[in-house]
Amino acid sequence: MPALTDLNGLAGAAVVIVAALVTAGRAIGLRRSGLALVAGVGAVAALVPIGALPLAGLLRGVVGDLSLTTLVLLLVGLRRHLRAEEPVDNRSMFALQCLLAVGGLALYSLALGLGTWDPYRLGYGDPWFLAALLAVALTALAFDLPLVTFGLAVGVLAWALETYESRNLWDYLLDPLVFAWAFSSLMLRGAGALVRGHGRATETLLRMRAGSSS
Amino acid sequence: MSPAPGTVGPESTGRGEWAPRRRRRALLAFLTVLAFGVGFSKSFRRSPPPLFRVSTTGHSEGLSPRRGPGHPSEVEPLLRTGFVSRRHDVAAHAASLVELADGRLRAFWFSGSAEGALDVVILSAVYDPNRGEWSDARTVAEPEGTRRGLWRHVTKLGNPTAIRTADGTLWLFYVTVTVGGWGGSTVTCIRSNDDGETWGPPRRLIGTPFFNLNTLVRAHPFEYTDGTLGLPAYRSLLLGLSETLRVDRRGAVIDKQRISTLGRGSQPAVLPTGPSTALALMRPSGQEPPRRVTLSRTHDAGRRWTRPTRTPLVNPDAAIEGLALPDGRLLAVLNDVEVERDALSLIVSDDTGATWRRVHRLEDQVAERERSFDDDRWAQTVEALARATDDTVTDAMRYVTSSRRFMCWESRCHFDFSYPSLVRTRGGDFHLLYSWNRAYIKHVRFNQAWLDERVEDTRHARAD
Repeated sequence: MPALTDLNGLAGAAVVIVAALVTAGRAIGLRRSGLALVAGVGAVAALVPIGALPLAGLLRGVVGDLSLTTLVLLLVGLRRHLRAEEPVDNRSMFALQCLLAVGGLALYSLALGLGTWDPYRLGYGDPWFLAALLAVALTALAFDLPLVTFGLAVGVLAWALETYESRNLWDYLLDPLVFAWAFSSLMLRGAGALVRGHGRATETLLRMRAGSSS
Repeated sequence: MSPAPGTVGPESTGRGEWAPRRRRRALLAFLTVLAFGVGFSKSFRRSPPPLFRVSTTGHSEGLSPRRGPGHPSEVEPLLRTGFVSRRHDVAAHAASLVELADGRLRAFWFSGSAEGALDVVILSAVYDPNRGEWSDARTVAEPEGTRRGLWRHVTKLGNPTAIRTADGTLWLFYVTVTVGGWGGSTVTCIRSNDDGETWGPPRRLIGTPFFNLNTLVRAHPFEYTDGTLGLPAYRSLLLGLSETLRVDRRGAVIDKQRISTLGRGSQPAVLPTGPSTALALMRPSGQEPPRRVTLSRTHDAGRRWTRPTRTPLVNPDAAIEGLALPDGRLLAVLNDVEVERDALSLIVSDDTGATWRRVHRLEDQVAERERSFDDDRWAQTVEALARATDDTVTDAMRYVTSSRRFMCWESRCHFDFSYPSLVRTRGGDFHLLYSWNRAYIKHVRFNQAWLDERVEDTRHARAD
């Protein structure tokens, strides 16, 4: 029988598999009932052992235990697809992506060996790190960014209750997958804004030229 | 500002939605207070930084001294050698040694068709010092069992390292790889309460935030006064770096500290010299030749380490092992050559690592390397070395064929005596294991009298 931390880790990996299947189902045009069926079958397939390990165990071996932020985002997305709910508040999502991208850039570059200081160490219960996160959570609450507040609160609670093997708070808040998603989303946003800005500038220029020639 | 189509922002919320929105914010506020309340409570419950538990016998703790007047190790100088592993045609590497409660020693090493192969397992054998014999090796960890125990995919195993703690628990840490080469390594630990007869389920150590990849172990762990362990660890990617992981009694990493930055030394051997002082000797990974061992010190029980400095100790980028002796001297074993691993030496420092001197060359095939290669001569040398190592060897040619399997490339064959593991027992004897041509584990046993004799001889030699 797996330990509770293993069960949590396997469940997280299973959520990724289900989310991937549902996304694929949407891409081929399945309706909600079909997506629900895919999600159910996917969850069972991910958790039933094939040989020594379930499929979720194979994935877990590669990506490790996924952060609570990733799981919250995946579950919110799944719920939206399966229940046709409204998309997440755009401001809240943007703020979360910014935090994840900045946090990930700082954490991964320094923790992997750039420089002498390892910020990963803060995650072992440093009270000042917790205080900083609390300040971010309260600021997000004040500015009505619920996804940020919820992600931080759930991550800190899961860390305090030791729901994963890791005793490091960073592992509950951030993982390379969600960092890659946030970073690439921001890059795409930036590229889109640039293209739109360029389009508007060209349009203005053309109008000005048309005006001067007439 | 109006919200983008399809989004739900504060401005898009109608007057009738204010009540649910306020409820949601109140719930979020409650969740935040709860989560951070529990979080701060956990944070403030952290134990204060501990001191080193200074060992009087090397790496083995929790054992009462057995030394007494008349003990044979204090009378006549003793130096004995033999082979731990007797299996032929398989790779054997990266041994680690601990003393057990009854005075026997238990060795761990990895073995398989080749280093990094999927069939590599962690083997263990027990040495009875009274009979001078090693037991047959048996498997204590293999990929399939590790996979099942960890509930995650594992492809292959690597370096083991072990410690017996003050509470009598025997800990074995070993490298596990899920994807790729050693860069994809993580560390797994298992524990035994009966000195290695049976083992508990494996547990994964989480050492880095990036998929938990690229953490390896080699040198012996050490103990803190609060019962937690310090595990010297390193990274192999890029230029390599060193750090210590602090592991609690349940096998979870609860703190870490960096010893060196990229290119300033990896694979640390940490030698606690006092409750708050220690030094770390590191192999010169990432250095351009001429490579030198790097050294870092701590004066606050590992909370901060000094910037690593290059020592005069020559090393070809191979593992180093060391011990702080009760009399304050430091004893280390390393390949003290610029290239290859064909010489292995025992070195001593009387001034806490400021200067070192070689007291004994355990292996030396430098001259053979510098001559033009002759396959027959190489085979004869291996055969002679095998017989000299262990007088019970009757099939020395098997040692030649096994060595040939791992030591021959680029149209010549080499020698490899590397990855030492050294302990000092309660009786005062020293036991050293190291890889012998990557195919066998060699055991060298010597006592304090022999060491003192060697130290005196070399001191006089220096004076002369």
